[in-house]
Amino acid sequence: MTDHPDRPDDDAGLAAADSLRLIREQQDRARAALGPDGRALYGAWGVAWLAGYLVLWFSAQGREQPEAWAYWVFAGALAAAVVFTMVHTMSRTSGTRGVSARTGAMYGWAWMLGFLTFSAFLGGLARAGADGELMGLASNGGACLVVGLLYLGGAVAFDDRSLFVLGAWILLVAAAATLVGLPLTYLVMAFAGGGGFLVMALVEHLRIVRRRRRAGEGAGRG
Amino acid sequence: MADALDPVIHAPARLRVVATLAALDAGDELSFPRLQKLLDMTAGNLSTHLRKLEDAGYVRVTKTHEGRTPATYLALTQHGRRAFEDYQQALTGLLRGAGS
Repeated sequence: MTDHPDRPDDDAGLAAADSLRLIREQQDRARAALGPDGRALYGAWGVAWLAGYLVLWFSAQGREQPEAWAYWVFAGALAAAVVFTMVHTMSRTSGTRGVSARTGAMYGWAWMLGFLTFSAFLGGLARAGADGELMGLASNGGACLVVGLLYLGGAVAFDDRSLFVLGAWILLVAAAATLVGLPLTYLVMAFAGGGGFLVMALVEHLRIVRRRRRAGEGAGRG
Repeated sequence: MADALDPVIHAPARLRVVATLAALDAGDELSFPRLQKLLDMTAGNLSTHLRKLEDAGYVRVTKTHEGRTPATYLALTQHGRRAFEDYQQALTGLLRGAGS
């Protein structure tokens, strides 16, 4: 804005500052209400991965594979995160249509198609005799490959640099988790993967706090 | 630059309408109920302001049906987007003028 304090007798300047503040507040409000809250989404996925993979890891102690119940807990945690993501995103973007809505819908379908194909891929591997550690590594590493690549694609579609960093990180984690082998794979996934999401939630939170503080300073000066 | 401010946009209620629609990406539209909620205005009040903005060529009103329910979508026209940018520039100019 301006380096000089507004003179109280200058009505035009004061009115202009008020109008600019009104614009900024209204636009901040609109953007916050119409887009998904990154903190909530990253937080949900961070918790789901951290808890789900830790359960797999604990359950695999002293055995080759996690027990069946652990897979159910893991699947339940991921399903809850999927449902939360869909409900949250749909309620935030309801009442909007146009280019962004179409881009978002195509992105949603990309996830659906990616995982449908991947489950057929796993079915084919199982039919060909894959099981045990091979199946565990292929299903985990392959799923993370799909996730990482879709984040990179999302970063391109939405021009979101932090999403690109997350996608690259997930790919790195997928590689490392597969190379260390079971059951350590699940520990790497829990802390590096789930932790990655939680770091993203924190980064998103700090970004919002900083933007709010800057807006507050601007308003205080007006 | 700091000449008379665009009177269509300068009224606070319409300024908030235009600012909200300008927060959408170009090519996006917002439904009437969603816009109304973001602005805390009554439907009648919002309609009146939207008609003025539409008459000035700043807002495009699209009436459609979703299933059997009628729905109205709002967006800034290119002309409206440009007018809002000019308006903001004029304000910034006034602010600079006041500070010097």
